[in-house]
Amino acid sequence: MNILIVDDEEPARARLRQMIEDAGEHVVVGEAGNGLEALELAAKLEPDVVLLDIRMPGLSGIETANHLSTAASAPAVVFTTAYDEYAIEAFEAQAVGYILKPVRRERLAQGLRQAARMSTGVLAEVARQSGLRAERRHVCSRFQDELKLIPVEDIAVFHADQKYVSVHHDKGTDLIDDSLKALEEEFSDAFVRIHRSFLVAVREIRSLRKTEDGQVLVMLRSGDFEEGLVVSRRHVATVRRRIA
Amino acid sequence: MASVPEARSDNPQAFLPDFCAAGTILVVLLVAELVAIVLALASYTLAGTFLVELANISMYVLWLALLGAALLCRIRPWVERRGKTQAFILSFVLLVVLYLVLAEAAWQLSRYFDALSLITDSHARFLLRSFAVSTIVIALAMRYMYVSSEWRRSILLEAQARISALQALIRPHFLFNSMNTIASLTRSDPQRAEEAVEDLADLLRANLGGPKDRTTLKEELEVAAIYQRIEKLRLGERLNVRWNVQELPMRALIPSLTIQPLLENAIYHGIELLPDGGEVTVSGRRAGDQLHIEIANPVAAGETRRTPGNKMAMSNIRQRFELAYGARATVNVDVSDSHYSVQLRFPFEERMP
Repeated sequence: MNILIVDDEEPARARLRQMIEDAGEHVVVGEAGNGLEALELAAKLEPDVVLLDIRMPGLSGIETANHLSTAASAPAVVFTTAYDEYAIEAFEAQAVGYILKPVRRERLAQGLRQAARMSTGVLAEVARQSGLRAERRHVCSRFQDELKLIPVEDIAVFHADQKYVSVHHDKGTDLIDDSLKALEEEFSDAFVRIHRSFLVAVREIRSLRKTEDGQVLVMLRSGDFEEGLVVSRRHVATVRRRIA
Repeated sequence: MASVPEARSDNPQAFLPDFCAAGTILVVLLVAELVAIVLALASYTLAGTFLVELANISMYVLWLALLGAALLCRIRPWVERRGKTQAFILSFVLLVVLYLVLAEAAWQLSRYFDALSLITDSHARFLLRSFAVSTIVIALAMRYMYVSSEWRRSILLEAQARISALQALIRPHFLFNSMNTIASLTRSDPQRAEEAVEDLADLLRANLGGPKDRTTLKEELEVAAIYQRIEKLRLGERLNVRWNVQELPMRALIPSLTIQPLLENAIYHGIELLPDGGEVTVSGRRAGDQLHIEIANPVAAGETRRTPGNKMAMSNIRQRFELAYGARATVNVDVSDSHYSVQLRFPFEERMP
């Protein structure tokens, strides 16, 4: 198997690499020092397994795993941690692979056998049980080899357009792989569905306007939709409630 | 009424003793009888009959004492909730008022049984005398209860400080990460691994001894420096610590294990969560007979709001400074979106030679 090692501490990465190379069964294809680097390398190298430290600056391990799980060829994930009582209980309960540091040879081999793809649901459950944060603070746009993280608080509108979802945010528009339905569930606190193909940030809604032919429009504070967005009839009540 | 059982249970943090308990009432009666004896002795002249006088006074005083205890028993749950100062003032005022009313009642009763001539004084003089004596006795009793509740509180504070000092011992997270670093260095750089084991041993020794009362700044800063060396191995370029402590008198005393946990906090909640790391500044100066020490670090945006572990370490340090210096020391925390700092101010004291 091809393995990507992700840890913000150099000695910790060195040790994992050493142990994997010693065992000779698997290949370390790369090392990343933080979550963003991990996502970039994972997109480029397409590893089979990512060894992922939980406590990292920027994107945490759980958040990174969440991003990884949305990729087309999602790698399997094994978490590593020095000490995290609650997370470990959650991993056990959800049968998620993890390795404790300092890492033992046998435990590493066992952890790699346990490696499995993470689903968003399992990660959310782990986060709930452990008190860690799983919900993403960014969405991830992949364009060819380039990878971009867009802070959720900068996003005004998700627009499902045929195959892709386009993200309209403060600094422009990008395409992402996530489905509108998954986004609606994940960010239900801050966003509201107004139409089959539009998800809008609640804080971006300035007002609702009724047109002469009886349609309801959402007027936004800023951005690309100056003439307003149509609210489909079955969403009108929800939208009204959310901005009240 | 729901709060009555709570106040009755022997809560060491209560300000007033439990006046509903038989033991307390016995003490009240004994004290009241002693007061009666004092009063009888004071007015004793050769012409008088001491025992009759004593019986007279005792009857009056014991009744006052019992009714006073009954009043305190009833109002205690209510006044305890109002904080220490108010609890004492309220109890004092209510008792004085009660005794004034009882003095008046006693006067009226003695009019009724005129033949017995229990009270030979004029109305106003009797009330005034009774008021003065009861106010002085109540004030003395209140003072005693205040001092003993302060004393109980300081014992409690000390016990709490001991317990939380134990809890403030090095984070398991740090310990296991350090072990992992050492395991890694054992192969790549055996010499540094060796030094790291020595450092870790020194640090554990300082921590396992538990916080001694106070230690010199020199020792305290050494422990912090050792801690920094171990973290530096793990975090590399990301961690920088700047020490501006040359101005501090190294022989000055400081509650032990305070700077190292603060540095640990600065790294754990600050530097570790910054992708590019940052610099912790430990600075100190002397201002007259006060020492100021500040530990400051940058924090990742949004991290300052969620730091439960941090609060525990801070309350522990606060408690230990309060215990060591009372109001002469302050522990301040400054938080902004991107910055966190703790300021310690405490008196410059040295160990007696």
